[in-house]
Formats: sequence, C-alpha cells, structure tokens
Amino acid sequence: MSAYRTHMTIIGDILSTTRDEMEAEHGASVTFLIRKANVSHVRISKILINLVSQGLLEQVDSKGACKYKISTSGREFLVAYHTFRQFADNFGLTI
Amino acid sequence: MEFLFENILNLIGFVVGLAIGLMSYIGFKNTGSPTLFRLTLAFLSISVGFFIVWSGYMAEDFVIQTGQIERWVQTLGIAVQTVGYFFIAFSHSIKSFFPKSRYFRSVGILPLFLVSIVHIEHIFRSVSFILLVYASIETILSYIEGKKKGTIFVATGLALLAFGEFLGWYSFVFPESILYYVSILIKIAGLISLFIPVSKIPLTRIKFDREI
Repeated sequence: MSAYRTHMTIIGDILSTTRDEMEAEHGASVTFLIRKANVSHVRISKILINLVSQGLLEQVDSKGACKYKISTSGREFLVAYHTFRQFADNFGLTI
Repeated sequence: MEFLFENILNLIGFVVGLAIGLMSYIGFKNTGSPTLFRLTLAFLSISVGFFIVWSGYMAEDFVIQTGQIERWVQTLGIAVQTVGYFFIAFSHSIKSFFPKSRYFRSVGILPLFLVSIVHIEHIFRSVSFILLVYASIETILSYIEGKKKGTIFVATGLALLAFGEFLGWYSFVFPESILYYVSILIKIAGLISLFIPVSKIPLTRIKFDREI
C-alpha cells in the first residue's frame, strides 16, 4: 500500500519533476506531470494554477501546447522544502 | 543547589525551545507547512514556559529572597510548557484518540471537577507526562517506519523528558531526595537529545523569506 501524501508532498513532487526531468527550455506538459507526480487531472490543474500564481512555476507556450517549467523561486522553494522535510522527519512528522 | 540545577535546566529548556521554535518558524515562512506551524507553536510555548520558571527563580534569588519560588509562577510556566507538549502530541494526530460519544465526553470532563482541589501544578505535570509519552511512542513508530537516525534522537529526548517528569513526582513524595536532582539531569539530557538532530539541519543553503 502506498503511503498517504500530503498536499505539500505533492507540490514537492511536481516541482522536483519539472526541475529534474525536463530540459530547461522545454518545460513539462500536464500529461507528463500527471504521470510522474501521480495526481488526477482535476487536482493537478488547481495546483498548477496556484503554483504559477505564486511564481514557483512558469507557463511556457511550446508549439501551441501549454507547458510548465520551474522558476528561480521554485528552485529556492524546493531547497527549503527538502531541508524542512528532513527537519520534520526528525520529529517523525511529514510537512 | 536546587536553585542552581533548576536555573541550568530552565535556561537550557529556554534556549533549545527557542532554537527549534525559530527554525520551525523559518520553515513555516518558507514552505507554508501547517506541520511546521504546529511545531513553531509547540517549541515557542515550551521555550516561554521554561523562561517563565527561570524568571521566577531569578526573581526569587535576587529580589524576593524568601527561599522558595512563587508557586503561581512555577504553575504558569509548567502550564505554558504543557501547551507546547500538547502541540507536539497533536501533530501526531492525537485527535484520533479523542472519545467520540457524548457519554465519554461528559465522563472526560468529570475528573476535572473531582480533582480541582489537588494542586493544579501536579495536574499540568501529569498532562505533560502523558503527552510526552504519547509523542515519544509515535516518534519511535515513525523511526521504525523510516529508520532515520535523527528521529531516534527526538524520540529519546521526548522519552527522557517524560521519565524526568515521572521521577519528579517522587520528589513530591520524598522531598529533598536525590531523585529530584536525577530527574533534572534526565530532563537536561532529554533537551540536549532533542536538539542534536535539529543542529545538523543545513540552514545556510536556504534563502530566507525577506519578511522574516
């Protein structure tokens, strides 16, 4: 059975996917993110809108398709996320 | 001697609580995580609680000089610490253990009236002990799942704080005994154990939120 993922963990997974698995100039499609982050289309759409409005992801238009790539703020957020995930792990908690 | 031990314990408690509380707050400001917010409340409360008791001892030592700390100051400090322990336990989903039926809820309130004549400080100490044991067990369970070294330090720290609190009860029964000093030393060891894994978190790589 897979472990329960918090909202924050899902955001971390989405940002990690856009950072690690895509070339900087292209960006990730929604379908790719759904597959990699294992989130439903309805849920990921809301999260992506939120992440773009927060400035953590950038929306890029690639050959008519809407794609997403991680911003500088997103990279900084990911560093903080990984650090404080380790911090919370020490207390046996999930952020 | 008692004042010296109490001062050391309360100062270490204040510093450790403040350090972990501030680190949690930085984490909350950078990630917006509710877990880190609860940890912030928990450790800042613990820090403030220790500070209140320390202030009480200092005021007694330098100003009042009656030979004993003001009872209400000690009770207030312990109550604030209990709030902190509650938030740690709450972070481990203590909610799921609350009785759901109306009958149990009403019975749950009854003992508060029955024991109201007992010194309120002892009630807070008892609640702290239960919360610390709960949080310690939950943290040990997390360690069994994740096998992360830092988790076992925190679990040990919480367990030592609980054991120190437990031994502290004996000092009410046998005042002036060595158990009192042993309980303080165990609590100090617990606080240090809590701080060890947190001190290894590499905060230097983080670009802090400008609003902090």
